[in-house]
Amino acid sequence: MEPITTELVLEVYNLHVFYGSLHALNDVSFDVKAGEIFGLLGPNGAGKTSTLSAIEGLLKPKSGKIIVGGFNSREKPLHAKASLGVQLQATSFQPELTVLEIIQLFAGIYGLPMSKEKIMRLLQDIRLEDAVAKRFAQLSGGQQQRISLAISMIHNPKLVLLDEPTTGLDPQSRRQLWERMEGMREKGHSIVLTTHSMEEAEAVCDRIAIVDHGRVIAKGTPAILIAQHQNDPDVIKASRRGKITLEDVFIGLTGKAIRS
Amino acid sequence: MQTIIPSPGTVFKTLLKADFITQWRNRRSVILVMLVPLLILISWQPLIKTLGGPFVLSNCITTGLTAIGLMAYSTSIARDRDKGIFQRIRVAPVPTWSIMMSRITVQLAMICFMTLTVFIVGYAKAKILLEPAGYVLGFLATLVGGVLYLGLGQAIVGLVKNSETVNATSRLIYSIFILIGMLGELGTLGKQVALIAKWSPYGTVRRLISDSLHPASWNMDTNFALLATIGYAALFVGLGIWKFKWETK
Repeated sequence: MEPITTELVLEVYNLHVFYGSLHALNDVSFDVKAGEIFGLLGPNGAGKTSTLSAIEGLLKPKSGKIIVGGFNSREKPLHAKASLGVQLQATSFQPELTVLEIIQLFAGIYGLPMSKEKIMRLLQDIRLEDAVAKRFAQLSGGQQQRISLAISMIHNPKLVLLDEPTTGLDPQSRRQLWERMEGMREKGHSIVLTTHSMEEAEAVCDRIAIVDHGRVIAKGTPAILIAQHQNDPDVIKASRRGKITLEDVFIGLTGKAIRS
Repeated sequence: MQTIIPSPGTVFKTLLKADFITQWRNRRSVILVMLVPLLILISWQPLIKTLGGPFVLSNCITTGLTAIGLMAYSTSIARDRDKGIFQRIRVAPVPTWSIMMSRITVQLAMICFMTLTVFIVGYAKAKILLEPAGYVLGFLATLVGGVLYLGLGQAIVGLVKNSETVNATSRLIYSIFILIGMLGELGTLGKQVALIAKWSPYGTVRRLISDSLHPASWNMDTNFALLATIGYAALFVGLGIWKFKWETK
């Protein structure tokens, strides 16, 4: 594994986002280093997707600063976007287009000339070379997810944002995706990942931030978070098997109540 | 890992290519959009002597414009917004205007194709032959009318978020426009409705196209129809841009 450097590929400072009167993100700050997998964890509606949307430029924060790959997202939005690869939670491509046409579309959007041979190599990498002429709507969920991830990486970005990428995947596909993420990290890419799975966070994330009610309530490596909170009464109460896990810390910090 | 920013022209060309392919793959719906004006043209053949060729052609073209703006454009925008297709493109280094401009360009090409088809079928089947200036002016008037109907489609997707509701609303407005516009102007539904129909978006566009197809009949009323068409277009486009949201949440 490549060592994580101190170079920052993402800096988020004092982010505030409002939806009408709802304060969705309240003073969110964190950073991501080059070659790091950073996990954003939180219950439903905690602010994970809003954080990613602000970084992606899909929503305008009321205040705060976001720097992607050295570019301020307010001052140089296109440069910031070009430094990013994104896999959205609910995303799709025109169902009428074939896999080849979708890849050509995004290669063109990112200003990359891509021959058919190069596209075939890309598809071979994700074992979808037989799907080149298939329309996106004809692919299985796992295949769509692989295409989506490949497109998010098509321009070799410094930072990749993955919004709940393993939701709905079978264990084999999930493991495969984890391996892909680790492969990306080895090549020096950084990843910001949102997930509900503590197992996933512990398995692949170098550092995590727990978000609740629009605030970052804890930040660090999974091991450090467990060590820091293992004696909290709420964490001990949440523990089911005696040994404190990341899930116990998460439940202890965010509460047992189900969020809508 | 260098940061490449493609030129807006390259991005626009790429989006346009994808949007034309999508339109081509949806050619069944294109045929349906073309069918109504052509059916009107063929079924109104006996009326050409009394109503005049430009009147019949203008009705066919206006019906086609209504279908393109309300059925084809608004429903495709609503569907792609619902599926998150726009959001996927917006996270790339793409100027926002290029996404919508590409869609509009495809629909303008559809409008040109529909108008040409009506002219050709009008000549071949109904022997409607206009002077060259009529064809040119009629074509330009059709594009002005097209902006009004694309603007109306945009206003609907701006005001209504749910794609099913957009579909239902577009169909309802389409039916109202066709019924009141065509029958109302002929006086079948009474004087009051005739007056409303005359100054409705359907009536003003139809009159503008009709008088453009026969430039000798251009008068003060046509000037007012042109002004009203531009006014409606500005209103709908403004409303559509102001109220439009890229996602349904």
